[in-house]
Amino acid sequence: MTARVAIVGSGLGGFVAYATLRHSGLEPAEIAVLGVDPDPAGAWRPRAEAIRQKLMRSESNGHCWPTSFPGFAAREAARRRDLAPLLLSVCDRYRPTVDAFLHHVDELRARSRWDESFRHARVERVLAAGDGFELDGHGSFRHVLLAPGHPGLARPPALEHDPRAVHAYEPHEYAARVTVVGAGMAAATEWLNALDAGAEVVSVRRREPARRALNVARPLFTKRGLGPFHATDRGARAALLRRFGEPSYPPGRTWDAPLAAAAREGRFRIEPELNGMDQVICATGFRRGFEHDRLLARLVAEHGLETEEGWIVLADDSTVPALTDRKRTLSLAGAPAQWAYPAADTLVGMKYAARRFARRVTMCPTR
Amino acid sequence: MSYTLRGRLETRLAAALAPFLVAAALSPILHVWWPLELVGVMLAIGLALDVALYHRLLPYQPGWAALPLGLLELGLTMAAARALELNAPLWPAVALFAGSWLVLQVLAHAGLPLLRLTWPEDGGELGRTGRVISATAPAALLVIVGTAWAVEPPTVRLAAGVHQGPLVLDHAQTVIGRPGTVIRGGILITADDVTVRDLTVRGGEYGIEVDGAESVELEDVVVEGAELDGINVRRGQVEIRDCMIRSLPAAFTQGIDISFGFDLKPSLVERCTVVGGLEGIVTHFAKVMIRDNHVSNTELRAITMTEMSMGSIEDNEVDGALGVGIFCGDFSHCEIEDNAVSDVEPDHESGDRTRLGVAIQAHYGAEAELQGNEILRSPGGVAAYVDATIDHE
Repeated sequence: MTARVAIVGSGLGGFVAYATLRHSGLEPAEIAVLGVDPDPAGAWRPRAEAIRQKLMRSESNGHCWPTSFPGFAAREAARRRDLAPLLLSVCDRYRPTVDAFLHHVDELRARSRWDESFRHARVERVLAAGDGFELDGHGSFRHVLLAPGHPGLARPPALEHDPRAVHAYEPHEYAARVTVVGAGMAAATEWLNALDAGAEVVSVRRREPARRALNVARPLFTKRGLGPFHATDRGARAALLRRFGEPSYPPGRTWDAPLAAAAREGRFRIEPELNGMDQVICATGFRRGFEHDRLLARLVAEHGLETEEGWIVLADDSTVPALTDRKRTLSLAGAPAQWAYPAADTLVGMKYAARRFARRVTMCPTR
Repeated sequence: MSYTLRGRLETRLAAALAPFLVAAALSPILHVWWPLELVGVMLAIGLALDVALYHRLLPYQPGWAALPLGLLELGLTMAAARALELNAPLWPAVALFAGSWLVLQVLAHAGLPLLRLTWPEDGGELGRTGRVISATAPAALLVIVGTAWAVEPPTVRLAAGVHQGPLVLDHAQTVIGRPGTVIRGGILITADDVTVRDLTVRGGEYGIEVDGAESVELEDVVVEGAELDGINVRRGQVEIRDCMIRSLPAAFTQGIDISFGFDLKPSLVERCTVVGGLEGIVTHFAKVMIRDNHVSNTELRAITMTEMSMGSIEDNEVDGALGVGIFCGDFSHCEIEDNAVSDVEPDHESGDRTRLGVAIQAHYGAEAELQGNEILRSPGGVAAYVDATIDHE
């Protein structure tokens, strides 16, 4: 059997798409996964380790299984014969542990026979050809989902060559006096980590972070919020995406109490500018924009795709309109798919793209 | 979950399918329309709240909100059922509502996300299936519930005050009185599916006579001053609840007499009070459950199950009977359990040695099974006569 469907990128976005395609009835031989690391959590795991993340920001449905139910809470409740996870989940207070998440990835990787579809390949060019796409010498496919992940870590230009600076997602320890640049989830985690390590912490931020449980407001995870979002014109949508990308971390005493205690002790304060601290941790997330990704930049340039302020303009179902028709599909998943789904870089967002891709694949008469 | 309006409506309609089918099955079995009507009311209220309230107030609905919203809908549904006079008994109606709510929760949290992968991010919308459901369900519901409404027995409300009887009920209907409603001269019921509720019957040969009718319900009725029987049932099947039979004038008057319906479904006498008369509650050749009643001051026997009757006599309170308290006679089979019998007085005047203050008696080939009965101040105790047997369990 020859693979007619390709997933470019072997990270979590590609993995979610793979699991969804398998659930839709495709055999491993029908799917080619092209990537550089056979471990779907290979890129995510060291970042979580670097910031000492113990709990996921996502809730019970932040998983890679193809169906939303049963999620982590229901499975844990069944395993422990305890209703507590379900009760926490209905109150939006359930967070799976990172260990549980990674275990689930390993288990699903084996069960879905991911390794049978994985091909070690670095794809840097996707070229529309006939009724499909040529993938940089790795074959021709009718249906392709691109999940290239984030295009690298973002650092403030002033700190590019500063020897005191380390990115939050790189392995590091904590000096006695630490400045954390940024105010999102990674920054908040680093404030607490550094305080736990006994450091004095200065938070440098350009603006106050929003306090919300998830990356974006909850209605934006469903058609309720997506409908109005999709109805905006391009300029307005880009402005919305910029706003959604502003830093945020969850509300609650878990975060506030240690910071308040440290502030009283004089070990935590907020400053607008960098100072002379021993260590600067850049919790500034990832680079944004397709132009930072070689594959996407080339795709846009060679096919004249529409773009808006660093985002590739996508159809509402996360496909590239100019390169998708009845017989072929080019979809984007993960961070580059935010034009269709603002929370595209979450696990729920990856499923959004994956499910629509799987539907197109299974309904295609020439699959 | 952040529902779209369409998602809310389609999910609710899809979830209503199961309770609707259950109600459609229950209604012909129970010979009542309220389950169908209740599901219809429940759905109508839910849809109205979806449109008018939930969609506006809840851009995001956390899982726990299902509970208070469910209680709100329960309250509104019960109030509407009462206002529309659906005659839905409280606890079965609550149970039907609770079951429907549970189905909705299971579907929303598990069933629909499994059946349709994109259901969560589609805000509860069901695609083409949802459009079909939305188009057909309301029409189907209106037709079926409307039919139920149209063909169900009419309800007649009687004003407070005295109504001259006898009242003859010869077709299916529900007659409901108010405080102060009195029927003078008795009620005769000859049709199936008649319900009489919340009124007082005064005088007449029989206070209420049921002749050859089944599925008759008598609830919260007071019968006073009947000449022969307070309630007389011949070849009928009845459920009598929360009645009061009193002021029985003649020496031969009986409180409740259910007879000659052995081939019919069992009858029930429950939570009634009978004061005086020859016999308080009596059955002849019938299947009857007699429970939680209070019978006192009878001249012959308080509770009698005789002439090849079969049934249970449970949790009744009998006191002040003359001669015999509870009687199981003439080849009847009686389960007599957890009754309290006290102060049964010997009837020396009768010269009958079987009537010397016997609390529980089996007679003439009858078989009585006794368990947990409490007997006080009744010198005859428990006794069996003429080939009758008593088993103590």
